[in-house]
Amino acid sequence: MANAEIKNIKAKTFPIVQKTNSIQQIRYSCSISALHSAAAIPGVIPITHCGPGCADKQFMNVSFYNGFQGGGYGGGAVVPSTNATEKEVVFGGAERLRELIAASLKVLDADLFVVLTGCISDLVGDDVGSVVSEFQQQGVPIVFAETGGFKGNNFIGHELVTQAIIDQYVGEYTGPKEKGTVNVWSLLPFHNTFWRGDLTEIKRILEGVGLKVNILFGYESEGVSEWKNIPKAQFNLVLSPWLGLQTAHHLAEKYDQPYLHIPVIPIGAQETSAFLRKVVEFSGLDTAQAERFITQEETSYYHYLESFSDFYAEYWWGLPAKFAVVGDSAYNLALTKFLVNQLGIIPGKQIITENPPEEYRAAIHQQYQTIAKDVSTDVEFEDDSYLIHQSIRQTKFGNKAPIIFGTTWERDLAKELKGAIVEVGFPASYEVVISRSYIGYRGALTLLEKIYTTTVGASA
Amino acid sequence: MAINLNTAVVESREQRLGTIIAWDGTASRLSKESAYARGGCGSDCGARRLCELSGPFTQGSVCSEQMVECQAGNVREAVLIQHSPIGCGAGQVIYNSIYRNGLAMRKLPVENLHLISTNLQENDMIFGGIEKLEQSVRDAWERHQPKAIFIATSCATGIIGDDVESVAKKVEEEIGIPVVPLHCEGFKSKHWSTGFDATQHGIMRQIVNKKPKKKQEDLVNVIALWGSDVFTPMLKELGLRVNYVVDLATVGELEQLSEAAATVGFCYTLASYLAAGLEQEFGVPEVKAPQPYGFAGTDAWIRELARVTHREEKAEAYIAKEHARIAPKLAELRKQLKGIKGYVATGSAYSHGLIAVLRELGVEVNGSLVFHHDPIYDSHDPRQDSLAHLVDHYGDVPSFTVSNRQQYQFYGLLQRVNPDFIIIRHNGLAPLASRLGIPAAPLGDEHHALGYQGIINLGETILEILAHKKFHQDLAAHVKLPYKKEWLDLKDPFALVKAENLLDTERA
Repeated sequence: MANAEIKNIKAKTFPIVQKTNSIQQIRYSCSISALHSAAAIPGVIPITHCGPGCADKQFMNVSFYNGFQGGGYGGGAVVPSTNATEKEVVFGGAERLRELIAASLKVLDADLFVVLTGCISDLVGDDVGSVVSEFQQQGVPIVFAETGGFKGNNFIGHELVTQAIIDQYVGEYTGPKEKGTVNVWSLLPFHNTFWRGDLTEIKRILEGVGLKVNILFGYESEGVSEWKNIPKAQFNLVLSPWLGLQTAHHLAEKYDQPYLHIPVIPIGAQETSAFLRKVVEFSGLDTAQAERFITQEETSYYHYLESFSDFYAEYWWGLPAKFAVVGDSAYNLALTKFLVNQLGIIPGKQIITENPPEEYRAAIHQQYQTIAKDVSTDVEFEDDSYLIHQSIRQTKFGNKAPIIFGTTWERDLAKELKGAIVEVGFPASYEVVISRSYIGYRGALTLLEKIYTTTVGASA
Repeated sequence: MAINLNTAVVESREQRLGTIIAWDGTASRLSKESAYARGGCGSDCGARRLCELSGPFTQGSVCSEQMVECQAGNVREAVLIQHSPIGCGAGQVIYNSIYRNGLAMRKLPVENLHLISTNLQENDMIFGGIEKLEQSVRDAWERHQPKAIFIATSCATGIIGDDVESVAKKVEEEIGIPVVPLHCEGFKSKHWSTGFDATQHGIMRQIVNKKPKKKQEDLVNVIALWGSDVFTPMLKELGLRVNYVVDLATVGELEQLSEAAATVGFCYTLASYLAAGLEQEFGVPEVKAPQPYGFAGTDAWIRELARVTHREEKAEAYIAKEHARIAPKLAELRKQLKGIKGYVATGSAYSHGLIAVLRELGVEVNGSLVFHHDPIYDSHDPRQDSLAHLVDHYGDVPSFTVSNRQQYQFYGLLQRVNPDFIIIRHNGLAPLASRLGIPAAPLGDEHHALGYQGIINLGETILEILAHKKFHQDLAAHVKLPYKKEWLDLKDPFALVKAENLLDTERA
């Protein structure tokens, strides 16, 4: 079988092609997939107003065959859907949505419902806003976002959902701010396979330096009560290359709340300590507590790293020297920074796949050009896997096989290049992820274990 | 109603077969009420259709386009274009994983599937997406030189009215391979199985050899999904070869569908349309027998297959040999499974087969949930009445429910019968059972319970799964369900539906 596989791969040819509208082997979904952002908030349940397959498509692909994360309390097969038929297409679906919302209130136990629309509703022009506002006026905790699939991808949908909750549920606030409290806007829930564990680590280290943290998504969030506290926070932290910036701008206008933007999600002690110092400086917190925490974390981190160094320094059979990263900008940048600066691996090819809005691309590009004091690298933006693989095939990785940080789509490519594959992003259909994190102090060590178990494990 | 290959669009299940997606009663009553479709009487409705429940609360179902992805998208040497915004393309993830694992299970070279999204944007909704479709079809050709290109439509392209046919025709003439539009807009059918039919419709219209040069008298079409190769050893006993379609088949294997001596399947829900169409259009006989589950079903199925392919004497020898072979193991399993209660929650005809197998094993089955019900299959032949076969040979199922994967109803259904385990295939129901402490046997390999060996396989799987109970019971003690207590306390999973029907019969 292994032989047949290799023979088959060798027999294939891959003609060089140009960019078109086509996307082969998708790396993001559409805006209704932001139903995950609703389900990621404890106690919140999305209600979808769309065709019969939309909700299933999103959770089976984004939360199941992507790390087998599971839908949690209000995601997965729990999600109500109007399952629109010809009737809703021809006569409109507002009445059907009204009926579904009323019934959802009887059946489901949620602190907040988030209505998301699909292509059908947005094309036939259902007045979803007025249906939802009828319920809002009765005091039902419910908001809506128009997330028809043609309006943008799930990153765009995520910010539509967060802003819908802020505007329609959190509401106005003119009271005082709580010094030392921060709202965190970072990874895209569920799409990023490791978001649960990563948000836990982010909250842990921010609390470690003395902040009170509204993490907003995942098991460490307090749910809607935390969202209600958003306006009281001293500031917003956007910890990602661009996702969350829109929300932060919105909050700046709405609540006169400043924000700190840190594009690099920290992995490893160097980057994490630097990150924490920046946040502490911005917040004006006491640096003494922060430094105590940093010292403590670094001590522990470097103890483990010291033991790891025996392997890293004298493992006989060789370790990958060059790497490629294929993934959304948040993890792509974070990993590249860590691999170059703290492991000393040589960047081969970095491809960002979530189609970030044009206005953010120059800044992202700049990050790669200054990836280390002495290393500059390039980055490509591409969302069609055929072209992504074409670009990697054309990359010169030198004598040694590269290690690819990518997705399930790169499994065969890695074999073809005789390299290793670590699935770090959507879709990761051959990873089982529960609480694993690859970021911060603790996640970095887990990442090292993953990388070198993969390479050593495949050696004989 | 005969299959009509002259139209590009397949007729939906509900139009052709009177399919329903919500019903609650006993298996015997559903069987009796379905008899109208075979020319019998007994429908309580007094109309020539089944009574169908319809309520205000529904959870996300599955659409026809997904079934096109999982069939046409899993044909080797072909490309499937998803003419849609990017979100429909999300399905590439699951069907890639299943495709890869299916290939590995069949010992075929593992590869990623070949699906391309046209990635329609807001502007395309205004000006149409036809140019992008044409580009993507050309991309498919340029990149892979496939032997066929399928096109799946979407809700969005259905509403904006893109003329998919003319693009397909134009490019097909140019590149000289079949370019096959499959009309599968999610909103057009209430049940996803119409997507199976849409794929099979396109294959029969544009891929199958219309005038086969030769007949292969020992070739049997097996309409399957990704299941392990259990048919080859079975059919070998009769001197027959297997042509697996649609998933994992090459385009050539689809072309030769018309050359075969017979067509069979593992489940009439999946096989109905293609098998009937091959018989009607190309004279390939469909084996009209109960499905091959349990002794009664498998015996009858093998005898009918042997009769159609003129191998009767081999059949009897094989049947006798297999009965004898599995008898000791079966006796042992029956002892081990005594007093165990099971529940089957799967696709329609598949459930009929699995319940038979469970009863062969001595497992008590007091309830079953099926995602839809076809009162008849496309052949209109009573020998394929899988539900009647179940009731006649293995007795009634007191709680028999049609519910298209509505998790909120599943709680009440499980309370009715308190099973020790459930059998599932589609995702979405086992997570609830798990939170109630009930383990599930997920039959990812849909051939696992088929034939004589299948009885043993399923018995062993149940023993393994029962051990998982420890995990699920531990979990059940520590989770809160997302459903309101008021809802869970209602005894009737269809309470809302019935209340609604009293107020409004329009939605039926």
